[in-house]
Amino acid sequence: IMEPTLLLIKGMCIMDNDGNRILAKYYDKNILPTVKEQKTFEKNLFNKTHRSDNEIIMLDGLTCVYKSNVDLFFYVLGSTMENELILLSVLNCLYDSISLILKKNVEKKAVLDNLEIVMLAFDEICDGGIILDADPSSVVKRVDLRNDDLPLGDQTVAQVLQSAREQFKWSILK
Amino acid sequence: SFRRDKDDEDEGTNTVYQNLEKTAVLQETRTFNETPVNPRKCTQILTKILYLINQGEQLVPREATECFFAMTKLFQSKDVVLRRMVYLGIKELSSIAEDVIIVTSSLTKDMTGKEDLYRAAAIRALCSITDHTMLQAVERYMKQCIVDKNPAVSCAALVSSLRLANTAGDVVKRWANEAQEALTSENIMVQYHALGLLYHIRKTDRLAVSKLVNRLTRQALKSPYAVCMLIRIACKVVEEEDHSKGEVSDSPMCAFIEACLRHKSEMVIYEAAHAIVNMKNMNGRILAPAFSILQLFCSAPKHTLRFAAVRTLNKVAMTHPAAVTTCNLDLEGLITDSNRSIATLAITTLLKTGAESSVER
Repeated sequence: IMEPTLLLIKGMCIMDNDGNRILAKYYDKNILPTVKEQKTFEKNLFNKTHRSDNEIIMLDGLTCVYKSNVDLFFYVLGSTMENELILLSVLNCLYDSISLILKKNVEKKAVLDNLEIVMLAFDEICDGGIILDADPSSVVKRVDLRNDDLPLGDQTVAQVLQSAREQFKWSILK
Repeated sequence: SFRRDKDDEDEGTNTVYQNLEKTAVLQETRTFNETPVNPRKCTQILTKILYLINQGEQLVPREATECFFAMTKLFQSKDVVLRRMVYLGIKELSSIAEDVIIVTSSLTKDMTGKEDLYRAAAIRALCSITDHTMLQAVERYMKQCIVDKNPAVSCAALVSSLRLANTAGDVVKRWANEAQEALTSENIMVQYHALGLLYHIRKTDRLAVSKLVNRLTRQALKSPYAVCMLIRIACKVVEEEDHSKGEVSDSPMCAFIEACLRHKSEMVIYEAAHAIVNMKNMNGRILAPAFSILQLFCSAPKHTLRFAAVRTLNKVAMTHPAAVTTCNLDLEGLITDSNRSIATLAITTLLKTGAESSVER
């Protein structure tokens, strides 16, 4: 019987299609305590999962649920005693939140272009191993705080030209 | 050729995070001193630092402290994303940098201010730097935040309290009334975190836990996460109870777990089935439906459901060989499962139940 605790998540990770870490968080000091051990584990995990769409694997005493898209791999890790469906709900939240943040364009470049928001999403989904939120829309509401109305000074020349062109087009069509 | 060069360039400019040099990035934190603060630029520098740390780069205390102090300058900016990144930075560096308590007043201000987006995250950052001696000063605010109307604020306070309970259990114990109130929240995460904290506060008091479970099993908790947690607590109570009083299966707690087999959430149904088959001294009346659910999951299209079922059957094959044998046909179907973890678990389970004939097939 498992000790009732809120500390369910052992780790969350996003890797690229070479198995390199883009972001990874480990929440249990007793599991994979050093970066070296973590990266070895990640390589191993990637090798065993990147060619299949099997959703779940047991590896090195951890249950890992996963999902991939284009060139990205998402993982959520828990103890082998953990309720797998809870882990899956966290994975789905992670994936769907990031998909919403990236406006469905879930690929490496987009993640890196929006890395600060993705980092904030990680932080809103899991706090030190506790599931903080599992609802993607509420996660996104709290992290995607980018202001789309750029002040003129921050726009690139290309953006200014583009909007001038738009305005011109509309003035002709009127 | 020109075209090729351009492609290469595109690849290269894709990201500012390639080939980052620790010392160079730390130098960039000088930008944090400029006034007015440039939120965009500073957010990117901060992101680079956090990215480097996440990649496994280690900062020595001097570097971390310098970076931490540079970061405090960014509190001048009201940019929401930047402020949130500063909180992340505080949490990340608080274990290495020195004198981190310098941001206490800034964080307390954000935690008690009007902006909800700041408040929830500020609480979590504040609690990562708060030690036992400072806790008294923020206790009043923590209690208020636990019962705050905004679910994110309440969750942040509850989760942080649980963290603080490790170092300041005696103080956090005094927040039980607030946690109790949060337990009645409509929000599923608030309810879940409140139950987690309340259980943590009371877990050494067997009678108090028993009362808590008895009360909660009668009022339907909305949160599936909270129900899963409650099932685990109930199991513990049942296991510890004096069995001489009679059949375990007759206790109201077992009735509650059994009722959870008919819950609308899959994770609760599975949690209940898993709990029942793992409990000692369960009678067949309750065991049978639990095994039927595991049997049903064995042929589910979702990998995770099949995995969960076969993992559970594998574990109880020793204690309930007869019941598991009735699932043999389902397990045989999983031997050739495309998921290797599932196939392996199915094979070892069949070996345990000693069904040689089925291995032949």
